[in-house]
Amino acid sequence: MPAIETHDLTKYYDTLCAVDHLTLSVNNEIFALLGPNGSGKTTTVLMLTTLLRPTEGSARVCGHDVAAEGEAVRKTLSYVPQDMAVDIKLTGRENVRFFADLYGVPHAGDRVDEVLSVMELSDRADDLIRTYSGGMRRRLELAQALVHEPRVLFLDEPTIGLDVAARKKIWEHIRALKKKGMTIFVTTHYMDEADQFCDRVGIISKGRIAALGTPAELKARLMKDVITATVEGMFSPPDVEGVAFVGRSGDEVSFTAENGREALPLLADVLGKAGVAVRSLSLREPTLDDVFLQAVGQQEEPHGFEDGKFRIMLRRRK
Amino acid sequence: MNGIITYMKRDFTKWFRGRVAVVSSLVMPAAWLIFVGLALPVKFTGNYLDFITPGILVMTMLSAGLSGGALLMFDKILGFLNKFLALPTPRSSILVGKILFITGRGLIQATIILVIALLIGATLLSPVQYGLTYLVLFLFGVLISTFATTIALYLDDHDSYNAFNSMISMPLFFTSSALMPYSVMPAWLATIAHLNPLSYAIDAVRDVTAGGFPALPILVLLGLTGAVLAICSRVFRKVTV
Repeated sequence: MPAIETHDLTKYYDTLCAVDHLTLSVNNEIFALLGPNGSGKTTTVLMLTTLLRPTEGSARVCGHDVAAEGEAVRKTLSYVPQDMAVDIKLTGRENVRFFADLYGVPHAGDRVDEVLSVMELSDRADDLIRTYSGGMRRRLELAQALVHEPRVLFLDEPTIGLDVAARKKIWEHIRALKKKGMTIFVTTHYMDEADQFCDRVGIISKGRIAALGTPAELKARLMKDVITATVEGMFSPPDVEGVAFVGRSGDEVSFTAENGREALPLLADVLGKAGVAVRSLSLREPTLDDVFLQAVGQQEEPHGFEDGKFRIMLRRRK
Repeated sequence: MNGIITYMKRDFTKWFRGRVAVVSSLVMPAAWLIFVGLALPVKFTGNYLDFITPGILVMTMLSAGLSGGALLMFDKILGFLNKFLALPTPRSSILVGKILFITGRGLIQATIILVIALLIGATLLSPVQYGLTYLVLFLFGVLISTFATTIALYLDDHDSYNAFNSMISMPLFFTSSALMPYSVMPAWLATIAHLNPLSYAIDAVRDVTAGGFPALPILVLLGLTGAVLAICSRVFRKVTV
């Protein structure tokens, strides 16, 4: 039984379709939903966490239907929304204890100590949150979410607004949780983080999944490696298997290759034999950004700003 | 039940830590008690302080309720509500906990006002009378905090809610029977005062201090509270799922 399963999950806000027949299956992995703003990421999470009723279709979390068995679903999951909401007048320990009590966790005191130490907050546990940094507040929210040992963790933009070190730390914690068997569903628009830390990504655009797979698969499927060479003097396109000549501009010539790392020495060899003076060679692997742009298209706003739709979205997302 | 207590505990802890707010909310009713209760030269009663104290107690509950109305709205705006709604704890305990906290906070403030009134010369009542007074204040507190919470959730914007709050609090107080009996009011004011829910609470407390049992006002308050609670839970359900 997959931890999260959706079938034709759909949400309309009046006439605006925010999520359009989404079918997904996620299990013991770090799954990232990537997409531009307003693509339906948060709406999807809100439906999966029972905060929003789907218009059509169904979703199950740990086998429980989100529309019919709300309480059973909420027992298995934890949700950390995008806006950091921790009580700044309470201490770290009080904030976590509050959630432990709401979940009815047995031996709450010990459990609170445990999650605080997992999140490396033990030494600051009795300080007011007022004095915590952004990264610490986010880790505290993770501690709150973990206190009842959920099977599924939903994180909406977990690293938004954090500095590089804090981001890395959050992701390390998320990875450790996955190793313990937890299913983690994150939304983000940081491509590099999804590429580096997530097992599988789904790129969502206008409420539909535009691409789905591991970051490596997606990059391999959609893009070839790009090789750029700086040459001097005479040059004629060489014939190397698996390498295609793209074009020349000034001293720079570029190629695409199925496998850039293997093609690079071959290409250097052939060019050398042909008597071309090669000054430098560089290889750029496609990033998830390239995949994203190819899947979603350029993110312009061709229709201009639609005030009405924007208002509907704002109202519903609060 | 556990959830309600946990939510209330959170609010009380936060309230006690904001020391300025704890004190400042008492200044207004205390000022009325001292500067008006002790100073106003009135002819319709011998002890104006005894007359005005029920009005000030109800006023304390009113301002506690109106200012508390914004709390759930802020939980919603700041993202706490979404976290709470994703918990297996019954969602109704979020609302019930909030209403009981606002009412409980009002009762604590009213107690301090009552002590001040006694210190400056109000008549001491019997324990039964105090029990009944608290019952009335509790009912009124639930009524006003539910009403305020509903309006705030409906408006969903704290500027609008503040405007609403300052718009209704003074008129509600002045058109009630807090400051003078119906007999000395101009006829038009007496008519309004008879319709004002504040008057029911104030008259009930006066009835208690005079040794009576205010059955009718309590029934009216119960009815009003029930109706507002029903509307409030509908609005709450609408904004949550």
